[in-house]
Amino acid sequence: MSASAGASDAETRLAVSGLRMRYPNGKLALDGVDLAVRAGELVTILGGNGSGKTTLLRCVARLLEPTGGEVLVGGRDLARLAGRQLREARLALAMVFQRANLVKRRSVLANVASGTLGRRRTLWTALGGLPAEELPLAHELLRKVGVERLAWQRADTLSGGQAQRAAIARALAQRPKLILADEPVASLDPEAAEEIMRLLRWLAVDGGLAVLCVLHQPALALRYSHRIVGLRDGAVAFDLAAENCADDKIALLYKDLAA
Amino acid sequence: MSFDSATIDAAREGASGEAGLKLKTTRLGGRLVRILVALIVAALVAQAFYVVQARPEDLVTGVHGMVDLISRAMPPAWSEFGDMLWPALETVDLAIFGTTFGVLMALPLAVLAAANVTPARPLYYLARAVIALTRAVPDLVWALLFVTAVGLGPFPGALALSVHSIGMLGRLFAEVIEDMDFGPVEALTLTGATRLQIFTHAVVPGVLPSLLGISLYRFDENLRSSLVLGFVGAGGIGFHLLTAMNLFQYQTVSLLLIATFALVMAAERGSAMLRRRVA
Repeated sequence: MSASAGASDAETRLAVSGLRMRYPNGKLALDGVDLAVRAGELVTILGGNGSGKTTLLRCVARLLEPTGGEVLVGGRDLARLAGRQLREARLALAMVFQRANLVKRRSVLANVASGTLGRRRTLWTALGGLPAEELPLAHELLRKVGVERLAWQRADTLSGGQAQRAAIARALAQRPKLILADEPVASLDPEAAEEIMRLLRWLAVDGGLAVLCVLHQPALALRYSHRIVGLRDGAVAFDLAAENCADDKIALLYKDLAA
Repeated sequence: MSFDSATIDAAREGASGEAGLKLKTTRLGGRLVRILVALIVAALVAQAFYVVQARPEDLVTGVHGMVDLISRAMPPAWSEFGDMLWPALETVDLAIFGTTFGVLMALPLAVLAAANVTPARPLYYLARAVIALTRAVPDLVWALLFVTAVGLGPFPGALALSVHSIGMLGRLFAEVIEDMDFGPVEALTLTGATRLQIFTHAVVPGVLPSLLGISLYRFDENLRSSLVLGFVGAGGIGFHLLTAMNLFQYQTVSLLLIATFALVMAAERGSAMLRRRVA
């Protein structure tokens, strides 16, 4: 087990072991992945196309059903839960997507407040209403991610970077212990990409969150992550502290991939 | 599993060789197909001329009759304007009723008939069958059936429009649901929200504008249909139009046609304007 020195004694927020995923078409996308993320740590998964990065993240969040292995979040095995128990266990993890996945026609504030729905299961919210008592929190989070002035705009009027900030605010509204980020900067310009990565790093270091991120840009990964996990053919090729992660190791991940 | 570069090159060459051959055959085949399609279309049009017994010369000799008809229809019977208001209202209300109940019935049906959210396969096929049946039978035929069942008047017309609208709307609604952006649904699923919360906070705001637009367009269509439904005794302006025709009251006919035109234009413009607002 290798990990960055600073975070080694911190609480483990996500422990994945022996995670396997075989798609119905027979393709083995994950072949026994082991991985741990601690509080205060930003861990980035790198890998070529088809290496299983996104599948791994989606299996952890249970947007996909893994075919084997464990996903421990807050001591509970997410891979074995269903229904109400799964919903409750999911409160501890939030996800940021490549395309922010905001509800386009609602205001930014409404989108952020919808992150609190999991703990506000009232008749009012079931009928489409927003939990009024959470609106101050939504405002506060928008201020934190730097887009408070856009609170009343419709979500589809935001730029890519602004939308991603709002999506991060929505994830934070959930008060998660773990944030999963699936290529959060893939559709952003370089400047916005740096800002989003800075924000994610800050959430880990200052916010004490565990952040597991999938990236396509090794340079960004090296600059902002504490640890880098290299994925190849659905298995972990290396798991190293960012400062020990040599360029040739990373290059191996992308070598000889069928185009 | 690893490929050396020689294998890859060989595979690439094989692929391009085959593709090249295919390209040539498709180019030749494409020209043949185009000529064939043109011949088939020409043959179809020619047989249609024959079957409908098209006689262009009759159009020329018919001009006299047309002029006579128009002269007898002028001026429109403006004095009957007041008598026309009630049937006009009836026509509009047929469309309102038909659209409202069509939408109410089509919504649950569309959820069952959308492949991505249907709760069970058998329900999917059942819903698709209901949609196909109600769509395939024209509203005029539904009106005939309902007139037989519940008697003359606007009610059978309203029922006919409702039933036909279920099919037309159900199919379009199902398509909207199938094309929906699932990103927000996934995002809310991961907040630990319940199914109902996900539905009201992500699905509804995502599809509502499209559903409203389709419904408004349906209202416009239903208004046009409701004008004709009167011909089979299902109320509205159409019924009065038919009566006036049968009694050779051509001035009344022209007034009713003007009213029809005004209603259709108003509905078309109104629904287009509202559709722009909700888009």
